[in-house]
Amino acid sequence: MKKASSKRTGRSLAALAALGLVVAACGSSKTAEPAATTAAAPATEAAPAPTEAAPAATEAAPAATEAAPAATEAPAEREINVAIVGNPQMEDIAKLTPELFTAKTGIKVNYSILGEGDLREVTTRDVASGGEQFDVMMIGMFEAPQFGAAGLLNDLTPLATADKTYNIDDIIPAVRGGLSVDGKLYAAPFYAESSFLMYRKDVLEAAGQKLSAAPTWDEVAAVAKAVNTPEMAGICLRGKPGWGDLGAAFTTVLNTFGGTWWAANDDGSIGASQVDQPEFKEALTFYTDLLAAAGEKDAANSSYNECTKAMMDGKAAMWYDATVAASNLEGDNSPIKGKLGYALAPTKVTKASGWLWSWALAIPKTTTDVDAAWQYLSFATGPEYLKQAGTLIEGGWAGIPPGTRKSTYEIPEYKEAAAAFAGPTLDAMAAAPIDNPGTTKRPGLPGVQYVGVPEFQDVGNQCTELFSAVIAGQKTVDEALADCHDIASQASA
Amino acid sequence: MADVKQNSVFHQPWRRRLPLLPALIFTVLITQIPFLMSIYYSLTNWKIVPPGPRTFVWFKNYARLFTKDDRFFRDAAGVTVTMTVSAVLISLVLGTLFAILLDRKFFGQGFVRTLLITPFLIMPVVAGLIWKLQMFNSLYGVLNWVLERLGMDAVEFVGKHPTSSVVTVLVWQWTPFMMLIMLAGLQSQPTDVLEAAKVDGASSFGVFRQLTLRHLRPYFELGTLLGTIYIVQAFDHVAVMTGGGPGSTNIPYFVYKRSIGGGWLFGRASAYSIVVVVAALIIANLSLRLLSGLLEGEDIV
Repeated sequence: MKKASSKRTGRSLAALAALGLVVAACGSSKTAEPAATTAAAPATEAAPAPTEAAPAATEAAPAATEAAPAATEAPAEREINVAIVGNPQMEDIAKLTPELFTAKTGIKVNYSILGEGDLREVTTRDVASGGEQFDVMMIGMFEAPQFGAAGLLNDLTPLATADKTYNIDDIIPAVRGGLSVDGKLYAAPFYAESSFLMYRKDVLEAAGQKLSAAPTWDEVAAVAKAVNTPEMAGICLRGKPGWGDLGAAFTTVLNTFGGTWWAANDDGSIGASQVDQPEFKEALTFYTDLLAAAGEKDAANSSYNECTKAMMDGKAAMWYDATVAASNLEGDNSPIKGKLGYALAPTKVTKASGWLWSWALAIPKTTTDVDAAWQYLSFATGPEYLKQAGTLIEGGWAGIPPGTRKSTYEIPEYKEAAAAFAGPTLDAMAAAPIDNPGTTKRPGLPGVQYVGVPEFQDVGNQCTELFSAVIAGQKTVDEALADCHDIASQASA
Repeated sequence: MADVKQNSVFHQPWRRRLPLLPALIFTVLITQIPFLMSIYYSLTNWKIVPPGPRTFVWFKNYARLFTKDDRFFRDAAGVTVTMTVSAVLISLVLGTLFAILLDRKFFGQGFVRTLLITPFLIMPVVAGLIWKLQMFNSLYGVLNWVLERLGMDAVEFVGKHPTSSVVTVLVWQWTPFMMLIMLAGLQSQPTDVLEAAKVDGASSFGVFRQLTLRHLRPYFELGTLLGTIYIVQAFDHVAVMTGGGPGSTNIPYFVYKRSIGGGWLFGRASAYSIVVVVAALIIANLSLRLLSGLLEGEDIV
């Protein structure tokens, strides 16, 4: 009996392999034919399993049809398609939309929740090729002004000003500035962040180290080296390639060291590559040396998630990254809750260096029902939702989308729930140098941790791969810069 | 005469294949039309961010491949070859060893076999993350924990040896596949021949070397071919483990980065892809026709 059953599993395993063969060989080779016939036999053996599952499926079906009339009772004649990025705050609003929005306005919202990479791909293709797939799409602060300036998005300023409940002046100025071109707001911020330095107060104190509220990078490097031990890295910095990973963190350092990626031509187009300039080399040398001397392990593959874990596990004493990280580190399940201090993004020759990022909702020009789209935007990014969400979402008050409105930081419940990081976050947002991030004029549109030109994505991706190799010890700074200079020069106009 | 010929060569096989035709047409539609469009795109200069016109540039994208500008493509091609060859060979050898062990009867055989197959059933992204975070990691990775217990220094596997790390995970995932193929080969051996060899006094190593290995040859070839087809296009592992970091960018990841991954240069990325398809076709055809018997007796051309 036992033998027989093991034989059968053997055959179904062979069938599995055969399946692979058939798929790959597409039946063009002779050997695939017998393989296909052997696959047929075990397949019939396996047949009972799906039929067993079938009743469950048909049971589920009536439930779905029962639910349907309830949905049609509401006057849902208008529908909009919305693409959003799949992170906790956006998933919260997707869950709450039927109750808080559709019930009131009768506008049905169809969400496409995508990962950051997919979202960027889908929205860029949709908006650039006039695909008309979405009425509202979530885009980043990098895309919003570029798409807006290219005439692909609706100007939201008149809509927002006409909307009494929206209160456009409540939006944090730096964020509004980053999403606007020539005073025209092209995307309404749903979520915004800057960057700051997080550090373990207890660890620094034990080592007799102090940090000022607005430290310089030299100061931070000295402290990092002083508290660095084999068990605990002095500082965690992003080292994983990608324009939004290492590219973001490094570019803020580059800015404050007085360097930049490109010079700007008079018309704002991309000028000569500045990668070969001494400031660039100084910044990259500083960044990679600091990681080598006091950085986290596996730095070349670490980014936001890896550093979150290192901090949580007590494997890093300091961390320079997005302000939103604090809500994790100060979360109820965090072992280091309450042990953290915050300082503004470290500087060198500029006054401020923190980055600025926002996920924001935009209405493409191709949208047919702009009114419905704006009603949705007004709901999702208006002050009312922030107040309602606090009591309705799983994460409670500390989990509401941060960084977009001044009024958020005046809600008493939020101030209490986010006491540890609300203040430093707001300070960082206010300090972010969106209009003048460095010492020289940049090409394209405003940007701190990136250059506001489309070419930056590709150049940033390629160069950070080289820089990451420096961090891993596989290339020298000079080798990486020479290649990067070539790459950046190809983009020069 | 003509009638007979039509009957034997054309009519008969096609009547037999008629039920297959809808699926075949569907496959052709969804694979070949995009392919033809890719060929067209590869002859254009097409950048969608910022949206610009698509201009026809003939073979400029291909000519670029041989200039200094595209040395990174050649690097990626080198990485792809290294990655594929080493992953296929190692998993083939390991898969054969496991298959030989599994071909014996022992207690709990079915259970062991199921365990051995599991890695193949895990999604590539998940496998990459598991290995990166739980095995290779310098802080909490199992491998480094073992190394440290043995008194050695922790190694930054993914950081210092990115390509080898990716190959390790690929081997881990594809060894079960090779094992299944080889197991099918071993189990299809005619037992009478083996018994006859034993009766004639052949040693078990001799039987293995002279009969089993010969019998397994087409299975080796099949394993190599299919393994290569799949591993050449490995993307997920690179994306989640190294993000193309320190010299581990292979061609699929490179093309992704040049197109939808931020480059938005669809013309150039199409050209890269076409070059890869052509190279793969040439290599696959040569290896199939010269080295292997897989296409022997193939009379449908």
